[in-house]
Amino acid sequence: MGPNEKTDLELPEDTIVGSPLATRKTHTFDHIGSFATVAQYTPGRTRNRILMSIYIVLIKAKINVLLPFGPLAIMLHYLTGKHGWVFFFSLIGIIPLAERLGYATEQLASYTGPTVGGLLNATFGNATEMIISIYALNNGMIRVVQQSLLGSILSNMLLVLGCAFFTGGIVHCNKDQVFNKAAAVVNSGLLLMAVMGLMFPAVLHFTHSELHYGRSELALSRFSSCIMLVAYAGYLFFQLKSQHELYKPIGEEEVANENDSDDEDAPEITQWEAISWLAVLTVWVSILSGYLVDAIQGASESMNMPVAFISVILLPIVGNAAEHASAIMFAMKDKLDITLGVAIGSSTQISMFVIPFCVVVGWIMGRQMDLNFQLFETATLFITVLVVAFMLQEGTANYFKGLMLILCYLIVAASFFVHIDPVASD
Amino acid sequence: MMRPVDEKESFAMEVETIVDSSVSSVKRYPPEMPHNGPLSSVAYSWILWRILKRLSKSIKVVIFGTKINILLPFGPLSIVLHFLTENHGLVFFFSLIGITPLAERLGYATEQLAAYTGQTVGGLLNATFGNATEMIIAMYALKNGMIRVVQQSLLGSILSNMLLVLGCAFFAGGVVHSKKDQIFNKAAAVVNSGLLLMAVMGLMFPAVLHFTHSEVQYGKSEVALSRFSSCVMLIAYASYLVFQLKSHRNLYHPIEDEEGLNEADLDEDEPPELSQWEAISWLAILTLWISILSEYLVDAIEGASDALNLPMAFISVILLPIVGNAAEHASAIMFAMKNKLDITLGVAIGSSTQISMFVIPFSVVVGWLMRQQMDLNFQLFETATLFITVLVVAFMLQDGTANYFKGLMLILCYFIVAASFYFHTDPEKDD
Repeated sequence: MGPNEKTDLELPEDTIVGSPLATRKTHTFDHIGSFATVAQYTPGRTRNRILMSIYIVLIKAKINVLLPFGPLAIMLHYLTGKHGWVFFFSLIGIIPLAERLGYATEQLASYTGPTVGGLLNATFGNATEMIISIYALNNGMIRVVQQSLLGSILSNMLLVLGCAFFTGGIVHCNKDQVFNKAAAVVNSGLLLMAVMGLMFPAVLHFTHSELHYGRSELALSRFSSCIMLVAYAGYLFFQLKSQHELYKPIGEEEVANENDSDDEDAPEITQWEAISWLAVLTVWVSILSGYLVDAIQGASESMNMPVAFISVILLPIVGNAAEHASAIMFAMKDKLDITLGVAIGSSTQISMFVIPFCVVVGWIMGRQMDLNFQLFETATLFITVLVVAFMLQEGTANYFKGLMLILCYLIVAASFFVHIDPVASD
Repeated sequence: MMRPVDEKESFAMEVETIVDSSVSSVKRYPPEMPHNGPLSSVAYSWILWRILKRLSKSIKVVIFGTKINILLPFGPLSIVLHFLTENHGLVFFFSLIGITPLAERLGYATEQLAAYTGQTVGGLLNATFGNATEMIIAMYALKNGMIRVVQQSLLGSILSNMLLVLGCAFFAGGVVHSKKDQIFNKAAAVVNSGLLLMAVMGLMFPAVLHFTHSEVQYGKSEVALSRFSSCVMLIAYASYLVFQLKSHRNLYHPIEDEEGLNEADLDEDEPPELSQWEAISWLAILTLWISILSEYLVDAIEGASDALNLPMAFISVILLPIVGNAAEHASAIMFAMKNKLDITLGVAIGSSTQISMFVIPFSVVVGWLMRQQMDLNFQLFETATLFITVLVVAFMLQDGTANYFKGLMLILCYFIVAASFYFHTDPEKDD
């Protein structure tokens, strides 16, 4: 990996950092820690350090070419009334930020060790969805919160996983790929439990069989959310504690290289840089999310699409774009366990952590956020979880399973294209 | 004198005998049994004294044998309260607590009898009497026309067996054996899951037919359909018994084959403690006792619901079964901690299968005979609850392993179900 990195660094010699800095990097890249400590003691070096950090985080990855769309969206918001453009540009502007957020989280995780690293991933992995949801919750757009989180689960389980299985299956078309069944089964069990938690308030309300019409399901949702958060905490404990026994990937000889290959052997930024970048990127994502959420309603009218479609399909596709790419990449490298960890783990995280967390936050904010996602959405989630749990249960993958999942996602997307909430008659 | 020594000897020998019905059930009479006229009164009093001694020993074993029987006085206490006060809540709770030891002793007597009758009839006995308590309560409620209580209490028994009992057992066993996952016989679990899904199917069709207003004769079609489906389900259950006890018995061998031979004995004391006739008599007595208490229990349900400010649904679905299953609960956890998960599964999932494929259809048929409108339409919310629960449990069981996290998930699912029924009431009849 070393020579590749040097080549990478030597190429952009006409960047804002001058060539002396580039050559300095080639010498000291493997001793980042010591370099950083030295760098702290002189302002000149600090400035150079900051510039280099900016370079690594914001410029090096190709995805960052989308970065200017963010400020552009903000400009459009104030200059024109075109909600459609504002919506799309802020959506595109968030993609690189989400990806960089994931990158910063991984960098920090390599310093903190596997346990806290796992916790970090578990919390920040879906930070984008969480931030968008909290903003929508703040604006009282409860249905947008519910539908965007649902859409994120659906897109992870069907689209991301399907594309990963499909490309992996085509690349390795000689045999079925295998993955660790136990982890998939535990995740499927958790997803079914989440479906249970969502189903009861919806069915109670729908059959008009609750004690206090409209209020019972809110109280039930809040109680169920606490239970689901306890279950998620138990899941983290179980996963991190038995990491050594249960979750060994299939290719055990590669375990030693497993964690390094996606960190490029050495962390590229220091611990404090990672933390600061986490904070900076989170603030940036929040700002853009604010404009994004404000533009949803107008975008729906100007583009002539139901709000349901925008929330369930468009929002999550973008929010998951980075995970999408990495899942496909790992499937092609025949590391299906990581792919599953990304895709299904993300779905589990959203269904058992982010959704109950939003209910609790709504409770604190005084909003009527509950787990009653209305019957159509709940039924969609139910059948999707069943399909995916069934596909995963035998521990193998091939391109046809991937194709089935992708086509299922197309059906779901089409359903939401023609879906609208009925006018509240009760 | 010779006789007391003889008696002590014969008692001791009876207690130590391994299962051999012909030997242990025969009372050892001393050879010199007097039967001439002038001595017959002495003979009769002697026989009477022996019978009393036998009876007192039997009572000692059955009634004073376990610690759970300190709850026994609650039964008569609740009857006293029923006549003295109008406090339905207390009557309900006391009769509930009073039934718990009776149910446990009933199970004990059934197992004792099963030791004499051999495996096949023993299995049948377990299959029939295993949920005798639930059956008796259901019959009483049916007689009173409380159809919803019947449906909800049977549903609650299934849910509590599948989620709470199994979850606690998996959790306790997983914590004790935290080094590795526990394993159990997958085949038996899969067959049971299939039967449970079939039961869900039997319950779902009347409910959905009624709910979509798509039946031929509104209100009457689903009762007819329920009665037919119940007969089909009873046939299925009968074949399941044949399958389990006769033809595919080898399918049900537990995983640790070296201990397979001792398996059936290990959950009992080696020799049975009661004779065959004692076991039968105790079965009859306990069933009668439970029936009496159940009547007061069922009568007190509505009053208790008002007094405790709990929905009837919550009482029927959650409270009644927790107590009815208390003994099975304890034994399932104990076996899981001893790493005998197959027995645990037999207790928990087997009981659910039994209720869903035997007790529920049986109640429908009994209701048919009693001319009550008991049907399989458990209303949409209850049916949906059963459906999702069966799916979750079938999914958890399909890979044949268990750990504490699966147990925790099942227990938390039960909390969610319980909370849902806390907020559930039947909608006002507007159709």
